[in-house]
Amino acid sequence: MSDLTFLMGKFEARIPTDRVYSDNHLWLQADDEPNCYRVGFTAYSVRLLQDVYFLEWSIDPHSAVHKKQEIGEIESSKAVSTLYAPVDGTILDFNERLLDDPSAINTDGYGKGFLFRMQTEVTFLTPEEYVAHLAAGWDKTEKLIKGQYN
Amino acid sequence: MPKLTVVISQAQGKNPAKQQLEAELVAALSSDANVEVSLVPNLYDLAADHSATQFLRSIPGDVIVLSWLFPRAARWILDRQNVRGHEGVSLLESKSDDEESDDESPARKNGNGRHGPDDAKKNGNGNGNGHGTEPDLRPVPNRKIYCLDLRDHSDAKVYLGEIRRIASEASLSLVDLFSFLKTQPQPERLEKYLRPLDLLAEQKSATSLDDDDDVPANGEVVRRRWYPVIDYSRCTNCMECIDFCLFGVYGLDPLGSILVEQQDSCKKGCPACSRVCPANAIVFPGHKTPAIAGADGEVGDVKIDLSKLFGAPSAVELAARERDVELVRDGRDIVGLSIGIPKRLKDKPKKPRDELDDLIDSLDALEL
Ligand code: SF4
Ligand code: SF4
Repeated sequence: MSDLTFLMGKFEARIPTDRVYSDNHLWLQADDEPNCYRVGFTAYSVRLLQDVYFLEWSIDPHSAVHKKQEIGEIESSKAVSTLYAPVDGTILDFNERLLDDPSAINTDGYGKGFLFRMQTEVTFLTPEEYVAHLAAGWDKTEKLIKGQYN
Repeated sequence: MPKLTVVISQAQGKNPAKQQLEAELVAALSSDANVEVSLVPNLYDLAADHSATQFLRSIPGDVIVLSWLFPRAARWILDRQNVRGHEGVSLLESKSDDEESDDESPARKNGNGRHGPDDAKKNGNGNGNGHGTEPDLRPVPNRKIYCLDLRDHSDAKVYLGEIRRIASEASLSLVDLFSFLKTQPQPERLEKYLRPLDLLAEQKSATSLDDDDDVPANGEVVRRRWYPVIDYSRCTNCMECIDFCLFGVYGLDPLGSILVEQQDSCKKGCPACSRVCPANAIVFPGHKTPAIAGADGEVGDVKIDLSKLFGAPSAVELAARERDVELVRDGRDIVGLSIGIPKRLKDKPKKPRDELDDLIDSLDALEL
């Protein structure tokens, strides 16, 4: 199955089809255990963030979370953001390797740069639905992307 | 000639790295003939009648305040304590760019009444220290207050360099400072601040303390406090905060200006009203979100906040939720969005704002 892409100006955000997505721009890929996912930033998020150099979690592993609950902070060369749980569920553990050096978010965002593992029963967006979600908001973002990043 | 005063506001807690930086600065500055260095407890925690507060009020001339706070937070904490002056511009690179420099001066210089006399404002907070029965609209004292953020650099040399730069800048304009020598410091109370090295030593030998309280060498216990600080350079006196807070923190001064009257009625950890303030004028210096803690968030190369994109609840949603938590703690009923929510926010169409709307708005604010 070939990846989908979403065009952010000239930048092609790759949206792999081997996983599902949340509306707050995270990907989730089924892990070994049932209802368990690896979670990371989509190429769209990473493109907006640019080089990530700081990542901190404000909750402990194995914490139950609800959608929109604050779980951490991220800072990059261009942006800061609080991070929020994508859905109700349990955050199992965090990607240890990012804690010292979060650069894998930029270099391998769909692989080694995953953020945490999470258990949840909620259903997510398909890759197609996520691309549609991005497209719906794109007109307004375009100005942002061009003004800021190209 | 009055020396340049350097005040170091101690970090909360006992972080050894922070204490070391404080100690290094004190040690280096104590031997500098051009400056007078003093160590005080964390500015934000100081009560109005604490001797360190009185010491701060008694400083006649230019002062450099080094604190573990955003400069904007430090500046308005001092203002609330009636320690006022023009904003001195530091050339240090800071994490939060504060190019706004003279932003508040025009509004305050022409005395538009938004900013009443702080002595009147102290009503809710114990008495002042005797001086200042003058009417409102006092001019800003003709001296500069430089606020430096100790979190910006870990090397004491960086600060020492900047302090010396400011000292040499200040020495050019020291002549007119004598005119400000109005207040009478009480020498015996102030003396301890002029012996910061002894003070450091005393502190080191102090026995172990409750983690939540920092005890300065003079024995006055300084409790951690939590209350809003208003940035009057931004406040439009719209009254949304006083309508929103159900805990009686806000009040009005005799001229009708908003005032944080009952500081200690504020709920520890609650930053709710800062989220409803349309002018972003309410600072909680201890909050972990830089925008709430007083980072200068609207100028220069400040970073874009992508929180909305990553799923942040709306500010009002959050504020109401935080307020409900505190109401429940007090054994009161939750009110959700039913009370004190500004009309402009309540009447908004139900359709949730697109996260991208917010992004664009934040960019518009940056005037790109
Ligand atoms: S809500 Fe903000 S702008 Fe309005 S009075 Fe309160 S502090 Fe001032
Ligand atoms: S933070 Fe909460 S309790 Fe404190 S002043 Fe604001 S609304 Fe009132």
